[in-house]
Amino acid sequence: MEFFANIVEILSKYWKVFLITGVSKTLILSIITVTCGAILGLLICLGRISKIKPLKWVLTALVAVIRGTPMLLQLYVFYFLVPKVLPFKVSEFFSIVVGLSINSACYVSEVFRSGIESVDHGQMEAGRCLGLSKRQTMQKIIIPQAIKTILPALGNEFIMIVNDTSLASTFFVGEVMTSYLIVKGITYLTFECLTIVAAIYFVLTLILTKLLGILEKRLKEND
Amino acid sequence: MIKVIDLKKNFIQSDGSSLEVLKGVNEEIKKGEVVTVIGPSGGGKSTFLRCLNLLEEPTSGEVIFEGVNIADKGIDIDLHRQKMGMVFQQFNVFPHLTVKENITLAPVLLGKMTEEEADKKAMQLLERVGLKDKADEHPNKLSGGQKQRLAIVRALAMDPDVMLFDEPTSALDPEMVGEILDIIKQLIADGMTCVIVTHEMGFAKEVSDRVLFMDQGVIAESGTPEEVFNNPKNPRTKEFLSKVLY
Repeated sequence: MEFFANIVEILSKYWKVFLITGVSKTLILSIITVTCGAILGLLICLGRISKIKPLKWVLTALVAVIRGTPMLLQLYVFYFLVPKVLPFKVSEFFSIVVGLSINSACYVSEVFRSGIESVDHGQMEAGRCLGLSKRQTMQKIIIPQAIKTILPALGNEFIMIVNDTSLASTFFVGEVMTSYLIVKGITYLTFECLTIVAAIYFVLTLILTKLLGILEKRLKEND
Repeated sequence: MIKVIDLKKNFIQSDGSSLEVLKGVNEEIKKGEVVTVIGPSGGGKSTFLRCLNLLEEPTSGEVIFEGVNIADKGIDIDLHRQKMGMVFQQFNVFPHLTVKENITLAPVLLGKMTEEEADKKAMQLLERVGLKDKADEHPNKLSGGQKQRLAIVRALAMDPDVMLFDEPTSALDPEMVGEILDIIKQLIADGMTCVIVTHEMGFAKEVSDRVLFMDQGVIAESGTPEEVFNNPKNPRTKEFLSKVLY
């Protein structure tokens, strides 16, 4: 019972740290990463299926390296590298966002590729026969159908991203996991703090799951 | 309208060897003409048709459409394809769009019509093929025959100068073949230039101005339906017809 009493006490004292600072930072990190990851991922995928050989090689290598190394390691690299290569001053938060986005883009690009390849080749031919360019056919015919098929896999990626933002706490950027480190440091109540943080992540991803479910249902209506 | 000069097409097979599918085809299709292409599978019929709008890139030779060699790499093929409608065996309607959107997408996107004009045209075309009440449905609600009708009017919405049909009834249930052939006949009656690859011999005999018999990568025989069906000269044509006409 003491456990729950502690949780209540921690929350009453430090709810701002968890819910305001932590959740808002986690949300911002997640939203930016999901958006940039999806857009970049689509671009990487299109580059990899394009006919420009050097572009293909570079992107294939990038995806291989990103998928072949731990994310935490990549975040360290970006954390130290980004401020060095950019001519203007950037925050740690920015470096982390870049790292998270590139990481998720590489995973998302593979999801997109599987989706685009799943669309029947006849669809591309039908579009081209009407006089549409390859690009127009991709935009209006292939990608909309691909997205429908990959939505569950894409949703999975997005949920992973929300959870993966916790790695940013290594650099103390202030998201939910950082708030755990802060409050634990004050109270020494490890398990209580972990429980609170776990609940927050669970609720966040649950909401996301529900939203994706609604979207999926809407798109499926026409099948 | 379409002139084909020494058209050759090789396919590279998975083992690296090259398969010669078209071995030098020469042919001219005139405006308003209805040409059907018959012959055994693997004889190059579909490849020939698909080379006419560059869906297959010829290995060598020329495809001259309305005075332009569209097999030339420097030309904008998209522009010329707008004038060539194509109907596939597998319909290839767009499942994520409504019936009406299937038709209006290309004319609007390519700036040929405003949205209102395209809408109006789509409804006219749908009425013509008896699909007006399906305008706002998605293609998954349509039967095979209805999908093929949609595919035909989708091509017609671009006001093509020629229509290419690649075995338009081969994937249909037998009872739906007639309705598709009737629509093609209507088009022919309106004066549309048509090139039709088909296995429907009766249809080919009835509607063609000219029949091409393709076998082993060449046009083995060409002539009026009367000549090709009733009086074939090439022994390969005779053999083929004896197998399919019983």
